[in-house]
Amino acid sequence: MSRVVSFEGLWCVFEHRSGQLVNALHDVNFEVQPGEFVCVVGRSGHGKTTLLRVLAGLQPPTAGQTRLGDSVVEGPGADRAMVFQQDTVFPWLHVRENVEFGLRALKVDDAERERTTAHWLDAVGLTDFADSWPRELSGGMRKRVALASAMAVGSDVILMDEPFGSLDYFTRRNLHDVLLDLWEATQKTIFFVTHDIEEALILADRVILLAEGKLVDDIPVNLPRPRDEDIRASSAAVDITKTILAHLGITEEEATQV
Amino acid sequence: MTSKDVLDVRAKAQREKRRRRIASIIYIAIGIALFFVAWILLAHEKSPWNYDIPPPFGAVGPFQDIFQGVWGIFQGEGAIAHFWRNLGTSQDMKIKFVHACPDLHPANVNNPFRQVISSLMGWKYTAETAIVTGGPAPVPFVQLPDYCYGYGIHLLVTIVRILIGAALGTIAGLAIGLSSLVFPKVAQVFTPIASFFGTAPIFIAAPFFVIWFGVEVPIMTTIGLVTFYTTLLMYFFSRRAAENIPVGIVESALTLGGTPRSIFRWVYLPGTVPEIAGGFRIALAGAWGLGVLVEVLGIQVGGGHLIDIWRFLIGQLQAPSALVALITFYAALAVVVDAILLVIIRYLTRWSEAGRRLGL
Repeated sequence: MSRVVSFEGLWCVFEHRSGQLVNALHDVNFEVQPGEFVCVVGRSGHGKTTLLRVLAGLQPPTAGQTRLGDSVVEGPGADRAMVFQQDTVFPWLHVRENVEFGLRALKVDDAERERTTAHWLDAVGLTDFADSWPRELSGGMRKRVALASAMAVGSDVILMDEPFGSLDYFTRRNLHDVLLDLWEATQKTIFFVTHDIEEALILADRVILLAEGKLVDDIPVNLPRPRDEDIRASSAAVDITKTILAHLGITEEEATQV
Repeated sequence: MTSKDVLDVRAKAQREKRRRRIASIIYIAIGIALFFVAWILLAHEKSPWNYDIPPPFGAVGPFQDIFQGVWGIFQGEGAIAHFWRNLGTSQDMKIKFVHACPDLHPANVNNPFRQVISSLMGWKYTAETAIVTGGPAPVPFVQLPDYCYGYGIHLLVTIVRILIGAALGTIAGLAIGLSSLVFPKVAQVFTPIASFFGTAPIFIAAPFFVIWFGVEVPIMTTIGLVTFYTTLLMYFFSRRAAENIPVGIVESALTLGGTPRSIFRWVYLPGTVPEIAGGFRIALAGAWGLGVLVEVLGIQVGGGHLIDIWRFLIGQLQAPSALVALITFYAALAVVVDAILLVIIRYLTRWSEAGRRLGL
């Protein structure tokens, strides 16, 4: 049962060793409806990952709270599975055992665990690699394992912290398709952190823009799906891109030069 | 790529794997051969160490026909021949030593602690040995079975004690090290203690164990010291291994619903195997030396005690052969055990790059 995710007056302040205080999150307030695909976009060091970690329960906020439905987030849990930027597939477990990990932790019975694991391995196209070691897989395949593991635990919300950042363009595009297929099939709420505007245009229903820890814009992405090159080159898409660039402090000329 | 191509690639990989295995066996054989060649050269009549170093096979023993006359100056039997002849039972030792068995002393017969220990270990009749150097013999004398005079039982006692000590130390070190991840107070209490004792060279601490536990309860002395040493090492290795598991992996496990128990079972335990196994190899390598050392220091049964006895009897004809044989035995034992450990470790870490290179 999907639930509304709400951030209420969220502050996150870190103290550096030098004693300097840094506002990673600055009074962030917004709500996400069940089944939305939200991309959080911003420059490096502007609070994207912190926001996701607070929602995951890995980082307690300094003030404010995060709610999932009626429950206040107070720690990590399987209702908010996360796919990380770095490779977090357990290298000592076979692919199948990786996907089973969360189900084992949740004490799902053997038959149901096998059925669920087989389903998600099939969904990400790794059935033939179920008994492989992660070291035998490519980077893209390992990301699929992480995605299947997160999906298998039945989370309401999937958190993704620049998960495809280290992959090549083609693999990334392929994983976008896989992710969108899974999202459409499950209608889970997805939080996807990225600094890649094109990636946000391909995936998001909505773009949350963070700058210096503040929510500076909340942009609906009402582009038809699937969002191929033509759609991403449409005037609506270009307008969204320009808005994002402007918020990030990059003019059109600078963006062209880059 | 056709199915035939795939099969060809697989067959080639299999051939390569076989070739690597055969090559490694050949390298080991070459290493052993070089060892014996060096030994033979050192013991040869033209070698300046000829008087001190017996040949491996000697003029007496299974290779006498081959080596008869080659050794010239050295008059004793070859070290390996000596070892083999004295393995089961030793008439030489029976003549030279008087063996006393405190376990059968009237004062000890009813000692439940000693009975339990002796029975459990199966060493009741191996008990203690003592050297008598012409003076009155210790009391009471008990004639022991013949095998108690052989090298075999002494070496077996040492091996079993060291393995028990290493096993207990490993269990204790891992239990303390890994539990300290879940209960930080354990680390707060144990780390300063371990750091303090860890900095004291264990070989310097060894005599204190002999003093504390005495030679009367040698099981406690040898096993105690090896356990202590292994516990310290395994504590540090398990802590370091757990700390080296990437934080992201643990966080990922948490967001997948991992409980402390499941994370311990599926993340920390398998993830720390490579470093812990490496630490165990180091600990065991040290434990052989430590176990034998503490026996040399005064424990009156075991391979170290045999070395001590022959050290006193260095003027005897057989002494160099006995000492070289015993030292070689321990060296070979450590190498063989380490090789077995390596195979086990490679199996346990077959998921890693090292495992891949071995084709496991």
